[in-house]
Amino acid sequence: MKKIGILSAALALCLGLSACSSTASQPSTQPSAAPQDQGEPVDVVVFAAASMEASLTEIADQYKEVEPNVNLVFTFDSSGTLKDQIQEGAVCDLFISAAPKQMNQLDAADTSGQNEDGLDFVNHDTRVDLLENKVVLAVPDSNPADIQSFQDLASDKLSLLCLGNDSVPVGAYSLDILASLNIDLAALEDAGKVTYASNVSEVATQVKEGAVDCGIIYATDANTYELTVVDQATEDLCGQVIYPAAVMKCGTEAGMAAAQDFLDYLRTSDDAHAVLEGVGFTVLS
Amino acid sequence: MPLDWYPLFNSLRIAAVSTVLIFFLGIAAAYYVAKLPRWAKGALDVVLTLPLVLPPTVVGYFLLRLLGPQRPIGLWFAQVFDARLTMVWYSAIFASAVVAFPLMYRTARGAFESFDQNLADAARTLGRSNTWVFWRVRMPVCRQGILAGTVLAFARALGEYGATAMIAGYTPGRTATISTTVYQLWRTGDDEGAMRWVLVNLCISAVVLLAVNLLERKDKKNAAPAREVG
Repeated sequence: MKKIGILSAALALCLGLSACSSTASQPSTQPSAAPQDQGEPVDVVVFAAASMEASLTEIADQYKEVEPNVNLVFTFDSSGTLKDQIQEGAVCDLFISAAPKQMNQLDAADTSGQNEDGLDFVNHDTRVDLLENKVVLAVPDSNPADIQSFQDLASDKLSLLCLGNDSVPVGAYSLDILASLNIDLAALEDAGKVTYASNVSEVATQVKEGAVDCGIIYATDANTYELTVVDQATEDLCGQVIYPAAVMKCGTEAGMAAAQDFLDYLRTSDDAHAVLEGVGFTVLS
Repeated sequence: MPLDWYPLFNSLRIAAVSTVLIFFLGIAAAYYVAKLPRWAKGALDVVLTLPLVLPPTVVGYFLLRLLGPQRPIGLWFAQVFDARLTMVWYSAIFASAVVAFPLMYRTARGAFESFDQNLADAARTLGRSNTWVFWRVRMPVCRQGILAGTVLAFARALGEYGATAMIAGYTPGRTATISTTVYQLWRTGDDEGAMRWVLVNLCISAVVLLAVNLLERKDKKNAAPAREVG
């Protein structure tokens, strides 16, 4: 009897703890396939680039006032990871990618040749270029290696640099920057000076923790993580950093309709623009 | 792209060092904890087994909070030895050793608990020291359990991913292990490369388990003749 008592107490404790924990990504209501009634709760599943986590989370709170019955469910990760998840069958109403590449790979109307698998997940009529960002070189607070510019990456001052891997948009931009500046990445790798992360938040965290000498991230991440920026990439180094957004074809009916409304809100609302520009994005009209 | 065997070498090296560490620490812990009063035994059992049930990322997080360059132990180490504890190849040893430790500890505890104390007492009456009794009586008798624990610990250390990825990152040619390499290759779309490493890992694991099987069978063969006597 004593054993059963202890076991059920432990079980109850576990259940209680799991009930207490609530994350932003847990849907609070069941998704409804019926047309959206006034007051009928709707889940909108948004896959967004990791660099948008801080700003979109804040905008979600704003949006709760505008459309109280819409529940925004976010997945933030590297756009390459999100594209893979969509391809593998994830339910997604709205996709905001940190680079055109991942959106192109899912878009049947893509003309750049990047959609090698012939995927058709993007509702092309809804696709817009939403935001612009900048790629920067960030260092930990004390800047122990005294890195002052992208060129310093080729010098002896550097002992460890963190980059996104090439499926991460910022990683691809980093490679472009290094190539434009004629910095030999292969040589850096041979010297064991480069460590790769799976998304830009991981890069930013490594820099924040001082685990690396510097990292290449977005200006918005440097802002969010309060990191010191020592250099910024100009357009000739890596091109424009455009964030396309589109309603997807792999969502729920009600979700996709509400997603279009949310996308319009992001494009037109002054409050949303204030948040986005506050972290460093440029909102494209 | 030339075949880069570094992850194999690194994984084996990390697993080997971790296993050696865990072998001595785990057995020592099992031996001394068994002698403690019941309440202490229970509490320590929980603490020392915790890494087994915690998700590796939780373990990784704790390790980072302790060993990171701006954290207590990391700072101290940097000041004294001018070296870092994270983002280097030996960071993975901390991760692997911590997650695999409970396996060695629990199996050793189990083996020691079922050890017939009379054997040890008999040796003591013959004038043998505690150390002699431990290494020449207890350990050989508990051989099966110890061996099982060591193999489990090695296998777990070899297959460690979550905590390793967090504490050592992925630096090709320096901190890359088989598990982190498979993840990176899959992430960047190199399915062929990922598959290659999956097969390599399968081979190693198969070889290790086969070796253990052979050792066990040899043991049983040596033990069998006793039945036929008298």
